[in-house]
Amino acid sequence: MTPTFRSALFYQDPKAAIAWLEKAFDFELSMLLEDADGNLAHSQMSFGDSYVMIGQEWSADHKSPKSVGGKNTQTVNIHIDTDIDAHFARAKAAGAEIIAEPETQFYGDRTYRCRDPEGHMWTISQTVSDVSREEAEAASGLKITGWR
Amino acid sequence: MSTRANLPTIGPLLWYRDPFAAIAWLERAFGFERRMVVEDGQGGVIHSELTLGDGYIMVVGPPSGRAVSPVAFGGRSTQSVHVQLRDGLDALCERARGAGAAIEREPADQPYGDRVFTCRDLEDHPWSFGQTVQSLSMEEMAEATGHEIKVQGGTP
Repeated sequence: MTPTFRSALFYQDPKAAIAWLEKAFDFELSMLLEDADGNLAHSQMSFGDSYVMIGQEWSADHKSPKSVGGKNTQTVNIHIDTDIDAHFARAKAAGAEIIAEPETQFYGDRTYRCRDPEGHMWTISQTVSDVSREEAEAASGLKITGWR
Repeated sequence: MSTRANLPTIGPLLWYRDPFAAIAWLERAFGFERRMVVEDGQGGVIHSELTLGDGYIMVVGPPSGRAVSPVAFGGRSTQSVHVQLRDGLDALCERARGAGAAIEREPADQPYGDRVFTCRDLEDHPWSFGQTVQSLSMEEMAEATGHEIKVQGGTP
């Protein structure tokens, strides 16, 4: 299967990012293109059924959070099937900056959020209980249209 | 849970100043379908899931803290989304253009075997769309691009 969506993340040092994502999130490097000088031209990392692309800052408009005051215009959500607390422990040991520790949310997912070494934000979640839309609305006070 | 199992492991999340306008535009321009929207009661969206093909994205906003929309950030972005299509790339480009997408690279065949176009959406998020038109081996791809390719398992 070729997944429909791939996030492309911009880094000052994409090779360091690849090494960190292997260590912290167990991503696997599936493709690396280098130019004649050994600079990264393109790469893909796989995790579960999905891919992300790890690349250079390639124009003044495509920047690492590290270059723009830590801001993020997009982030990546990772949904896992097992043991989010072990996932969290591994990421934390690898030096992830923790934004929110694992916590079970009103919609039935247990989630944590962190920043990688260049400031990209990641959200990791695992569904731990089957919550209905009505239950989620009652627990949160939010208006929800559609449901999973 | 079985109810979640039909979405892939990884989904991109995009910040928009006006998330409802963004959702409507993404439906019109790229053919997304709205699967879930969680409103904050003040015109904002704290979670949504829009599907296309076998994948999904999340549209949220307005941004706060370290989050920002490219339109409020001088057109700069820290990530982009690549959409891999099975067919219909040129037609989708025309649909997006008709909806007001700024096409940055017109559809063109790439040396690695994909046909690709790129554009910016209504709040300047960058998107790329690809469709494989010629399957190349890694050796053929390396020769065509002039790059050294290192593969460690998996299918690219």
